[in-house]
Amino acid sequence: MIDAFHESSTTLFNRHVRNWKTDGGKVVGYTCSYVPDEIFHAASILPYRLRGVGAREMNIADAYFGPFICSLPKCLLQLAGEGKYHFLDGAVVTPGCDSMRRLDDCWRKAGEDRAEALPSFFFHYAVPHKTADYSLKWFIEETRRLQAAVEKHFNVTITDYQLYDSIGIYNEGRLLLSRLDALRCAPDVAISGADALAVVLASTTIPRKSFNSLLMDLIAQIEAGSDRISGRKRLMLVGSANDDVELVRLIEGDEAVVVADNLCFGARFYADLVEQDGDPVAALAKRYLYHNDCPRMFGDYKGRLSILKEKIERAAVDGVILQNIRFCDLHGSENGIFERDLEAAGIPCMRIEREYGPLVETGRIRMRIDAFLERLEK
Amino acid sequence: MRKELKEYPFDWMIWRTFVAAARMKAGSEKEYSQAVKQLPYFRGILDTIYGIGEPGQLFIEMVAEYFEKIIFARKRGQKTAITTFCFSPAVFYALDIVPITLELVTVAMGATYKRGTADFLDYCNEVGFTETSCSSQRGTLGAYLAGNGVTIDMVVCDSPGVCDTNVNAFAFASAYLDKPFFQLNMPPDLTGARSTEYHRADYRALIAFLEEQIGRKLDTEKLREILTEVRKQDILMAELEELQILVPNPLPVTFNLLIYAGRFLFAGMPQCTRLLESLLKIGRENARQNQSGLSSGKERLRGFFCYIDHYGQDLRLWHLLDQMEISYHGNILSKMWSQDAYYAKALDRLEDAYNIDTTDLDTLIDSIADLNSRMPMIKSIRGPYDAPHMWLQDTLALAKLHRADFIVYNGTPGCRNTWGMVKPFARDTEKNGFPTLILYSDAFDMRVESWETTASRIEEFLKVRRLRP
Repeated sequence: MIDAFHESSTTLFNRHVRNWKTDGGKVVGYTCSYVPDEIFHAASILPYRLRGVGAREMNIADAYFGPFICSLPKCLLQLAGEGKYHFLDGAVVTPGCDSMRRLDDCWRKAGEDRAEALPSFFFHYAVPHKTADYSLKWFIEETRRLQAAVEKHFNVTITDYQLYDSIGIYNEGRLLLSRLDALRCAPDVAISGADALAVVLASTTIPRKSFNSLLMDLIAQIEAGSDRISGRKRLMLVGSANDDVELVRLIEGDEAVVVADNLCFGARFYADLVEQDGDPVAALAKRYLYHNDCPRMFGDYKGRLSILKEKIERAAVDGVILQNIRFCDLHGSENGIFERDLEAAGIPCMRIEREYGPLVETGRIRMRIDAFLERLEK
Repeated sequence: MRKELKEYPFDWMIWRTFVAAARMKAGSEKEYSQAVKQLPYFRGILDTIYGIGEPGQLFIEMVAEYFEKIIFARKRGQKTAITTFCFSPAVFYALDIVPITLELVTVAMGATYKRGTADFLDYCNEVGFTETSCSSQRGTLGAYLAGNGVTIDMVVCDSPGVCDTNVNAFAFASAYLDKPFFQLNMPPDLTGARSTEYHRADYRALIAFLEEQIGRKLDTEKLREILTEVRKQDILMAELEELQILVPNPLPVTFNLLIYAGRFLFAGMPQCTRLLESLLKIGRENARQNQSGLSSGKERLRGFFCYIDHYGQDLRLWHLLDQMEISYHGNILSKMWSQDAYYAKALDRLEDAYNIDTTDLDTLIDSIADLNSRMPMIKSIRGPYDAPHMWLQDTLALAKLHRADFIVYNGTPGCRNTWGMVKPFARDTEKNGFPTLILYSDAFDMRVESWETTASRIEEFLKVRRLRP
């Protein structure tokens, strides 16, 4: 059963997306977990979280991006340039961070050189970096602007009723993911971190109704079964975006299990529900701006630390792995203070800097994980 | 960090350095030349700055005064705020808060100490800040994180939406030192009712934050006085910038640095006004005589720096340009986009510019909010580089206006926002007829690329592009 999730998490143009396209459906990709899927779902468009998985070269990306840039947007541009995102009808870029923000510029420029690289709908979605009342007002307007652009480009109308329906379906998915999270955090771990990540990744590509149904079956299967993981060190994974199941598998090895995370391809993606009353656009804006806390929301370190501590306690975490992609200064620096404060609270931490993309540094990371696990045994 | 660096507070050391430097010309020329021999790592900067006469003296005194204000803030019952170069300090002066602008302090130390700020840069990494972050803040931040400077009361910045690595340094400082934090957050569009409303609402929240920190309200009269002085400075800067457009450019190469440094240090304060008036006297006189500001009196080429300068030890960039008879035509830092600015009028871009209206408190706050949203980098690096009012449009328009022969990009490897698109940007400037050089050096850390290498890259570029034999 879990294989279905793995297939969707490792293949860009997976079975579900293929079927969607065969049925004449539209697909819009987006770069960051601050983009409300519900807007697209309500327009019968498949929202698809963009990833750089499968990139093997950087020749196209390096023609546009400078050298001191995170490899995630570079891989993404590379794939777009190679035509691997041929199934996209649109893309939404957010200022998640500066590297990702500049994907907007570089992708448009790549589109001038290779027309097939750029989807016909291309939208810059300006997400504020703070949660003041005027920032929320801005974000509500921005979400309406996105809605209007989708309606115009795809010649559809998105009604409040459709939005309520989509919010309900996505909330259901979030609740299911939270149930899976509880199984993962339990004393007898019911699902490995690698499998749990595969499920979350699948949720970003599979039409949500089908995903909910698949996940319901998986949860039922896990709950009915007796396979449990025990006797391993319980780890938490924190930091930069990670959509690589193999990285989690590498971390877990034979001696550890990742029982919790605070990642945007993880708990941050499904934590918190959208309110289901009042103006649906305002409700979406509120949930996505307020409840998606990552270091791009500058000045809220203490809030994020308390989220981490609560989760560490709930999941009985033995140690925390704080990772960042090279040039991801936001997570990299915050990891530095997390390390200071968590270690002071008696929680062992390890910081890793890595590259996004194919695991070219497996040996180095494995050796450091082994050393960390040795420390946890003492 | 080396033990000896903790012997004295680092900001106190820089203050004393500049106090001593300000007295160098108090005696005879012979005394100066004898004294300068004892300062092998400071000599170039002294010669360069003092070489321009009265404004040089004023500038060094001004830097010394800036540090003096930092050192004695606590004794005088004032609060201190660490902040960034692209945040106008005018509001701090209006509220009697002492700004400590990290990048300016980094330049002051980087330019005058042999090892620059290397130890403090590295100290940041020791305590968890990433090595890939921007060196302009790290150079000074490390000293404050190590507790080797005055006490910081608050952290204020305005780069969210513009430059992650900039704001991240301030967010890190706030979390690490456990100090109150406020950010002005910039939307991607500069103009239009929606952005203007956002800028102004955000700025009012800033004032409320600052008032809470100091425990008293903003004095309308004081703000009016400061903004009236800012306007005066805008008019002086406008004339200086207009002179720069002449062929030959009558301003010496260092003038541009002094103009923006003066403004970053003392916007709205008479110290900056005096400096600008003094610069203008020389500029006008050179223009009257149709004389180039270069030492040789001969202008061979006109260079436009589209981003920032190179502040390595001894200010050698300016020396190199002067030596190669290249007149300097500004960079992103020297353009404040006031409605008085020559370029705003000449380019018919008044929509991009701010206006100062001193009628009442509301108009004053709106004015300073607009001013702040037009600060260097804040104005033009916030949106897509090729969008209206943004970096490419500004660069091309200014380079054309100044009749530049070439464009140079210089920054730091930490500058994610420009390295994210400088290649297509440079392709566009080239397409528009400007030979463009992308430098890979670090403006604040010469360990990344030695100055000799940087200089040779500039020379090679000019030769390969047949701009200079």
